[in-house]
Amino acid sequence: MKLSIENVGKRYGSHTWALRRFSLELKPGVLGLLGPNGAGKTTLMNILATITRATEGQVMWGGADVALEPNAVRAVLGYLPQDFGVYPNLSAQEFLEYLAAVKGLDALPARRRIDQLLNLVNLSDVRGRPLGGYSGGMKQRVGIAQALLNDPQLLIVDEPTAGLDPEERVRFRNLLAELGGERIVILSTHIVSDVEATATEIALIANGALVAHAPPEDLLRRVEGRVWEWVIPSADLNAVKQCYRISNTVRRSDGVHVRVLADEPPKGALPAAPTLEDAYLDSLSVYRAAGVPA
Amino acid sequence: MSRGRVLGHLVKADFLTRVRRTSFLLTLGFAVFLGYQTFAGNIVMQLDDYRGVYNSAWVGALMGVVTSTFLTLVGFYIVKGSIQRDETTRVGQILAATPMSKSFYTVAKFLGNFAVLAAMVLVMGVAALCMQLAHSEDRTLHLWTLLSPLLLFALPAMAFVAALAVLFETLPLLRGGVGNVAWFFLWTGLLVAGIGPAATRGGTVTHADDFHDFSGMPGLYGQMRGQLLEVAPQAHESFSLSIGSMKPHKRFLWTGVHWDAVLVAARLTWFGYALAAALLAALFFHRFDPARSFGPAGRSRRLNAVQERAPVVEFAAAKQLAQADPWTMRLTPLPPASGKNRFFAMVAAELRLMLQGHRWWWYAMAGALCVACVAAPLPVSRGGIILAAWIWPLLVWSPMGSRESRYATGSLIFSAPFALQRQLPAVWTAGVLVTLATGGGLLIRLLIAGDGRSVVGFLVAVCFIPSLALALGVLSGGSKFFEALYTVWWYTGAAHHIRGLDFTGTVDASSTPALYLGLTIVLLAACWMRRRTQLAYA
Repeated sequence: MKLSIENVGKRYGSHTWALRRFSLELKPGVLGLLGPNGAGKTTLMNILATITRATEGQVMWGGADVALEPNAVRAVLGYLPQDFGVYPNLSAQEFLEYLAAVKGLDALPARRRIDQLLNLVNLSDVRGRPLGGYSGGMKQRVGIAQALLNDPQLLIVDEPTAGLDPEERVRFRNLLAELGGERIVILSTHIVSDVEATATEIALIANGALVAHAPPEDLLRRVEGRVWEWVIPSADLNAVKQCYRISNTVRRSDGVHVRVLADEPPKGALPAAPTLEDAYLDSLSVYRAAGVPA
Repeated sequence: MSRGRVLGHLVKADFLTRVRRTSFLLTLGFAVFLGYQTFAGNIVMQLDDYRGVYNSAWVGALMGVVTSTFLTLVGFYIVKGSIQRDETTRVGQILAATPMSKSFYTVAKFLGNFAVLAAMVLVMGVAALCMQLAHSEDRTLHLWTLLSPLLLFALPAMAFVAALAVLFETLPLLRGGVGNVAWFFLWTGLLVAGIGPAATRGGTVTHADDFHDFSGMPGLYGQMRGQLLEVAPQAHESFSLSIGSMKPHKRFLWTGVHWDAVLVAARLTWFGYALAAALLAALFFHRFDPARSFGPAGRSRRLNAVQERAPVVEFAAAKQLAQADPWTMRLTPLPPASGKNRFFAMVAAELRLMLQGHRWWWYAMAGALCVACVAAPLPVSRGGIILAAWIWPLLVWSPMGSRESRYATGSLIFSAPFALQRQLPAVWTAGVLVTLATGGGLLIRLLIAGDGRSVVGFLVAVCFIPSLALALGVLSGGSKFFEALYTVWWYTGAAHHIRGLDFTGTVDASSTPALYLGLTIVLLAACWMRRRTQLAYA
């Protein structure tokens, strides 16, 4: 099971490249796709999900060129787009049955699978209600269930935890981690803690290009010894912002707790254990400093 | 910011949103097409066997009346949907949280609609200018004479249509497809109400008629008739505005509309009616309250809101159960999908999608019409009941081909294997089955009667209607085009059994099955090709 992305590029109009010379090779595990808004994450996922065609390059699934044999990947694909709709008159059960038919699943196993999935996403009790009355989080859970309908070998999820309450979010990211054991899971999100909890590998995209591709530990190692924390009076915050790359601030009764990325420790600062958020900000700033605006 | 400026910004934003869409170009294209058809003599205004010399007066009057009649019919469908767009894009929720009043909003929407329709009137004005110069029967341009019918006949009618579109959108029953069908009959009624009183008096038009005349036609006719009778006293008192090849053989000189104070006041009154309709719409406007939003989604939301109170405990308990050991849950691996053999399951799923969400009386009526086709005498079934049976499922057919874009489910469906090869034929087959079921009673009668020709005509119609719906849905990305076109086609062609236009194929005199079989093939091919281009990989 291998997904190869080879020099893929996507151009909108005649000049705008959303993705350029993008290469990546994926094996079973969870790939966390991180990047600022407009970095090209959704474009990449649309290409992988056969929703849109790459302008250049190749996507290969198990030796098959996706451009020539899109159904090879579609047959094993679970896709949860960032924005998707539902048919308001259908219930969750009926909607999943409909999509199971669209995906060509056999009736009996599909019905069993739907039961399991509705249970998994905590919608068993409301399975008979029309989707038009579901909250945003409930619709998102229906989306998660449909992505898992065909027992996908390639699962692509774009902002899957948007709209979920914290409890459901934790449940879902644990499920993703579990699924990643035997599948290729691509998770795109702005929520770094979701990636932190699930990803076995991270791809950082900016400006349509791959900035970094490494296991989380490697990215963390890059900022080890360069993360500092100290407490400053509120009045000094603006001055500190001018001098340091701040990754976090928290106001407390004793002042502002500031977390910065710096090669040398600020006066009075103490070293802190790096997080993925620190690593993400650092990689982006290094990329920007190299002259390419992200 | 003054209320005037706020209103200006609202109208501007609404207008720009539409102008920057490709469909606006199609809208203007339609106005150009209508202008060209008038220029080419395919739309003819005549009194008895006379038409006016193509001077500013005649060309202006002709363009004014063509706009206030034909373009008002189409214009409504073009502008209806602006409130729905605000709801879909969720801009409405932002607007609803501002101090803006409901009447302010509906008036702004009316003005936005009017701006779009006024752009079409402008195109017709340019067409009028070109038409007079191109025909060269009288090259002297009198701009006021040429354009005043567009300004005083067409624009007030367009304003009224713009406001009615807003009113329809705020009324739960008329908001969707039912409103699209109802507009055609209301439009017909408005024209008849304008022309009717004068017709009952043998063509004599009074000032009172001008006030309830929507299109301006009777007022115009009254003046033209007087001028024609002066030069041709023997002329019959007939007036027509028609599409087709019938051409008048004689000409007379028409010097233009005499705009007396009463006629001008009568025309301006329609702006008043329009404003009143826009303000009336504010009474029904739900201000994007999700609990009061209309349509199936709103209905199910309201239903759920009532149901949701009770099962909270039950739901929480289920959650606890599921959370008892959530991470150990394993999904059963699926056997490989047999894929292509699931076509009939797909058809069944599409059928359910089509038929779900209607009220019980919809099914009752559909069943009753089917039974009536069997029970009634054959001539009544084939000439009348089948018409009712094939207008009743209009709103079942109309979402075909556009459901994926309307509900944003395209990315889920089109990323499935063999989406084009499987889903599109399944939708079509489901549509055919619905058509067959609703008109099935007549098929039984025709088979019993051994009327082979009508059976063929019937079966072609069963294929043609869903093909038309599917093709227009895929091509336009919405259901409105089919709803409008099918209603007009059904009424003018099928209900009047006009040969060539009667698609039902069950009345010998008007049946042309070969033509509709050909059309069906063309529609399906067009729809297939369009869907191919919509998918990244077919």
